[in-house]
Amino acid sequence: MGALSIRKVKKSYGDTHILKGIDLEIENGQFLILVGPSGCGKSTLLNMIAGLDDITSGEIYIADRLVNNLSPKDRDIAMVFQSYALYPNMTVRRNIAFGLEIRKVPKIEQDEIINRVAKTLQMEHLLDRKPAQLSGGQRQRVAMGRALARNPALFLFDEPLSNLDAKLRVEMRTEIKLLHQRLGTTIVYVTHDQIEAMTLGERIAVMKEGEVRQFGTPQQLYDLPSDLYVAGFIGSPSMNFIPCVLGEADGVGVVTLNNGKDQLISLGQISDIQRPFVGKPVILGIRPEQLTDPASAHSDHPNMQILTAMVTITEPTGPDTLVTVNINGVKTVARCHPRAAGVPGQSVQLSLDPTKALLFDPVSEKRLA
Amino acid sequence: MADSYRQTTQAKLARMGIYAMLFLLALWFLAPLYVMLTTSFKSLDDIRSGNLLSLPQSFSLDAWKTAWDSACTGVECGGMKSYFGNSLKMMIPAVLISTLLGSLNGYVLSMWRFKGSDAFFMALLIGTFLPFQVVILPMAQVLGMLGLENSTGRLVLVHVIYGLQFTTLFFRNYYVTVPSDLVKAARIDGAGFFLFFFKILLPISIPTIMVCLIWQTTQIWNDFLFGVVFSSGDGQPITVALNNLVNTSTGVKQYNVDMAAAIIAALPTLLVYIVGGKFFVRGLTAGAVKG
Ligand SMILES: Nc1ncnc2c1ncn2[C@@H]1O[C@H](COP(=O)(O)OP(=O)(O)OP(=O)(O)O)[C@@H](O)[C@H]1O
Ligand SMILES: [Mg+2]
Repeated sequence: MGALSIRKVKKSYGDTHILKGIDLEIENGQFLILVGPSGCGKSTLLNMIAGLDDITSGEIYIADRLVNNLSPKDRDIAMVFQSYALYPNMTVRRNIAFGLEIRKVPKIEQDEIINRVAKTLQMEHLLDRKPAQLSGGQRQRVAMGRALARNPALFLFDEPLSNLDAKLRVEMRTEIKLLHQRLGTTIVYVTHDQIEAMTLGERIAVMKEGEVRQFGTPQQLYDLPSDLYVAGFIGSPSMNFIPCVLGEADGVGVVTLNNGKDQLISLGQISDIQRPFVGKPVILGIRPEQLTDPASAHSDHPNMQILTAMVTITEPTGPDTLVTVNINGVKTVARCHPRAAGVPGQSVQLSLDPTKALLFDPVSEKRLA
Repeated sequence: MADSYRQTTQAKLARMGIYAMLFLLALWFLAPLYVMLTTSFKSLDDIRSGNLLSLPQSFSLDAWKTAWDSACTGVECGGMKSYFGNSLKMMIPAVLISTLLGSLNGYVLSMWRFKGSDAFFMALLIGTFLPFQVVILPMAQVLGMLGLENSTGRLVLVHVIYGLQFTTLFFRNYYVTVPSDLVKAARIDGAGFFLFFFKILLPISIPTIMVCLIWQTTQIWNDFLFGVVFSSGDGQPITVALNNLVNTSTGVKQYNVDMAAAIIAALPTLLVYIVGGKFFVRGLTAGAVKG
């Protein structure tokens, strides 16, 4: 059964088109992440799902039911806001009970629900406090409790962790993931933090300027990004984009990488989509972890390519050191073992996994598969 | 060490200078009140013989009694008491209605914007700059058309209309600082327009409500012009009665009675400031510090 289905949804304010035709579909119990830069329309889309704002055209189904004309309270959803949006004049208990009262849930049942939720989120001791007497993390917890109390078909989270400090954010992230696994709820979660997206999501929709650039599992997005934007957005440090010219030798794609001297790198069997680009400029995309010192290269691929380059700067992160080199005139980051990182000015050998290297069309920015 | 010592003495001197200045200013502003109070407790002889700043020779409440229930305001000689009642009867509903409507207006203008709501708000803002005198003639015509005869009723209506722009402004400015997520959360919880307003918004508006109550109370109680124009005879508010009392000449000018009557007329607003002053300041700065 489809938990949420968004079909050709558009939203315009006058002549400004905020959402330009969104198609998304998730199953029951799935965790969907909407991720993208500020202003790309994530909150707008979430508000449309919640029914807080009208859509200009398209259809939204929640639990296989067309909800276009239903008010927020009839859509069987609950929402957690970035600002928490707790009612300041009410205690935590009343905050949770408010929605239940309006729905005419009997008092005894209300108390049961409140106790259950408070227990799930370990906030029994907070029930009689006002929001002003809570810390940021506790408010966050209460906001989630208020959503849980309603046991809806769909949970909507709008950047719920962005007001917390870094440590608490990681804690709450784990907690949300656990909660999701335990309760099997369907969640749509908005964030602009790609790490949050990768760690939480089962499905990720990368949005930009009111469009979904790619919709898939975290691994799909990571391994096979559909375009330069997604490739650069997912992963940290982000993928290296090296301009080069595609060549062909015996059906194998080759590119020339230059750091002082030209080095021919062969990539692998050239595909039909790539072939028309032979002799033309392309962009080689390679993630830092796929460009590493030969000893750390895990791949036993027979065609592992070796490249020599001069170190310009090293940034130790602890487990590995990020080594910046200059290739074809652009800064390129490699992730090396700290002992093999070299020092600035020194030449190091880097091995490049050709099976992981991606090619992009510099004009359309699409990946050439 | 010596340096910081010099600094602190300098700071202390500056502070003392400021306090001395404030003290003098306070005296300056309190002087009229002092004169009014002492004069109201003096007998007429006392007033004639002593000077303006002297204390009463014998302490007498006669002037207050006269002012309250037997001083003449024009042809009537029933003192201020019935007019005090008139003012109360006019002020209480006018203050409550204008405050409630103002908060509703502010709610709509900040959280349920509609096409043209900004223009509407601008129009209201212009209203706050209009002096009383400009409003009088059109207001009289409207009242005439409505055929409203009762003085109190007329004044309530006039004050509600004239006060709305201020109360709307106060509430609207507070409500724009309330996060819009709050309305959204309530809508998802199933709360409609009025439920959200009464259960959530009004309870968190107490400081603004206080500002409106104080503002409107002083405006309406102290109003003279609308009172003089739109009411008549025994329906007049206390400010008009005070004017009549002071201007009624029956032989000797009774300064002590005039002063007592003036204090009676000013008492409610004084009280409101003493009781509600701290709310007033707090309400004016609310929103800026809202967490
Ligand atoms: N009522 C409105 N009228 C006109 N434009 C609007 C309106 N509401 C939002 N927008 C525009 O829609 C775009 C998307 O806004 P939205 O809030 O969905 O962004 P977002 O992806 O949630 O960004 P953020 O990460 O900053 O929250 C923005 O460019 C915003 O200016
Ligand atoms: Mg947003």
